[in-house]
Amino acid sequence: MNINRRQVLGGATALAGAATLGQPVFAQSNPLQVGFIYVGPVGDFGWSTMHDLGRKRLEEVMGAAVKTTVVESVAANDMERVATQLGRQGHRLIFTTSFSFFQPTMRVAPTLPNVFFESATGTQTAANVSLYNARFYEGRYVQGVIAARKSKSKTIGYIAAFPVPEVIHAINTVMRGAWSVDPAMKIRVIWVNAWFNPGREADAARALIDQGCDVICQHTDSPAPLQLANERGVFGFGQASDMTRFAPKAHLTSSVNSWGDYYVERAKAVIAGTWKPGDVWGGLNSGMFKLAPFTNMTPEEASEAQRIADAISTGRLHPFDGPIVRADGSTVVPAGGRLTDDQIRAQNYFYRGIEVALPS
Amino acid sequence: MRLVLSKRENSSRWMSLLSPLIAVALTIASGAVLFAAMGLDPAKALAIYFLSPISDTWALQELAVKATPLVLISVGLSLCYLSNNWNIGAEGQFVMGAIFGGGIAIATHGVANGPWVFPAMMLAGMIGGAALAMIPAMLKTRLSVNEILTSLMLVYIAELLLDWLVRGPWRDPKGFNFPQSVMFEAEAQTIRLTSDGRINIGTLIALVVVVLAAFLLSRMLKGFEIRLVGEAPRAARFAGFSQSRLTWTVFAISGALAGLAGIIEVGGTMGQLQPTISPGYGFTAIIVAFLGRLNPIGCLIAGVFLAITFIGGENAQIALRLPLDVTRVFQGLLLFFVLACDAFLIYRVRLVRSAPQERSA
Repeated sequence: MNINRRQVLGGATALAGAATLGQPVFAQSNPLQVGFIYVGPVGDFGWSTMHDLGRKRLEEVMGAAVKTTVVESVAANDMERVATQLGRQGHRLIFTTSFSFFQPTMRVAPTLPNVFFESATGTQTAANVSLYNARFYEGRYVQGVIAARKSKSKTIGYIAAFPVPEVIHAINTVMRGAWSVDPAMKIRVIWVNAWFNPGREADAARALIDQGCDVICQHTDSPAPLQLANERGVFGFGQASDMTRFAPKAHLTSSVNSWGDYYVERAKAVIAGTWKPGDVWGGLNSGMFKLAPFTNMTPEEASEAQRIADAISTGRLHPFDGPIVRADGSTVVPAGGRLTDDQIRAQNYFYRGIEVALPS
Repeated sequence: MRLVLSKRENSSRWMSLLSPLIAVALTIASGAVLFAAMGLDPAKALAIYFLSPISDTWALQELAVKATPLVLISVGLSLCYLSNNWNIGAEGQFVMGAIFGGGIAIATHGVANGPWVFPAMMLAGMIGGAALAMIPAMLKTRLSVNEILTSLMLVYIAELLLDWLVRGPWRDPKGFNFPQSVMFEAEAQTIRLTSDGRINIGTLIALVVVVLAAFLLSRMLKGFEIRLVGEAPRAARFAGFSQSRLTWTVFAISGALAGLAGIIEVGGTMGQLQPTISPGYGFTAIIVAFLGRLNPIGCLIAGVFLAITFIGGENAQIALRLPLDVTRVFQGLLLFFVLACDAFLIYRVRLVRSAPQERSA
């Protein structure tokens, strides 16, 4: 090892040691070093920004008991090296916040047995790899209910990123919510093939509005579709963060990612020595995501939306209760049944009544 | 008054050796100012930047992994650029190599096939990269279409083809519909050279390619032809060299090398196909080729050097908690100084009094 790294580490521990003297909240002589690996830039105003807000929340709550490190815009090719480097620098908890990092995480985890990994989405756990994600579809159901109340043309426009199950089951759930209010609701979908591309997202919104959609749902991260909705006098929902400020006249609510509490919980578990691999898929009741305050809605509409959100949160309403019938007419789950989590996560079909082609 | 750059008659030999050192010295000086302004110890920051990527065997192996695709691609590009063939599409040829080679890995998945699988993948990768590179070569030689545009646009075609494959026919059936292929079997992964790191056979291949290309350019008739066509196309015609045949050749070689880099990268660092498999290696290699002065040995040095700044930037994020943007600014400074020093080496700057009568024309 080179002298510099030793110096850096020595300096860091000395500093941190001095800082922890004042507040012996956690019985820990050194702060827990926590690494965060982002797929995009910290300032993408979407996915990575919200993970970074979670990191800040972790620092805020834990104070000197943790020390966090960020590596941003990491390609999947470089993930193993970054994780190893973090491990070698003394990080004991590493959040890898993209699905494209999942396989590299599984490869690097056995080589760093003393490091705990937390992968935001993935398909299996390991001795030191946990999975976490939020049940964003719960918010989609509420969006569907609100959209059905607000729409005059009875048509929702949906800007979708990629035809992965996460997006497909969100479209299904929006319609589930909309049909609960008005079975005549329809949806149009445009695939923009990007999670973040303001230009294409705005084009898609324009096309959807031109086709008569008057409530825009977006499964992409930029505020562009919402801003366009504002300009054209229709309604829309924000994604990832509270986007009220981008569209004061159009914004109805936003699905706000909020990872901080989970990060605090996991860091505490590592410090206490109780960390165990898990597969957490947190809903509205977990706090992993929230609905931003309802705007541009009548008090009745807002209270209905809140009632639905509460019902989902407490488990009285489940968006994947049967009967569920595919677009081709085959029944997946009869009345009285419910899709399992694995079935939800693998959903690659639309429900009957959704006349949207899957790009294949 | 205006500044005029005029080409030097002959640049001094020892200045051309000194120029990169001056550039590094200037970078270190301005980097020290930059880091000091951010409240960091400049010596420590610079050490992390330049020394941590070469501090131990693990780090050196990682450096080799990062530099290998850059070196492989840039050597091929140098042959193109020396002969005035502007192949900008190495990124696409890299992806196409990964698709062709990855296709074999996916087709042989689940059955034990023996040690021929990875060599076959490398061969397929080279064919894939070369096949894609032949398209701009053909358009250029047959229809005089500008190869800069066609090779660049083929990048997007290759990327979208990969995107379609991993979301469609090659999607892992057990992967919850996520856009990725199956994990390659062990025999379909790039052969590693050590058990404690990720250095793989690609690094050896890159070194061999550098030596072969250096030999080709300095000792063989083909190398002379490449240089002559680039520097004096008329003379090359008189000498009986076919410009269009050479275009085919250099595009095929550089495409094959980019494709080889693609399959080595996918089999080595990813072990599967994903929608995005390159952090821009094909484009960065263009910088490497010019930093290396279109010389294979130069490409090797420049590739390693650029890989150091990439990994150094990563380590600076980790050890100094610097934001990515600062590490990129530093990398930009470095390239700026290297190119600026080269410019002063090749050109003379003169202050000329503006002559108004020149304007009248």
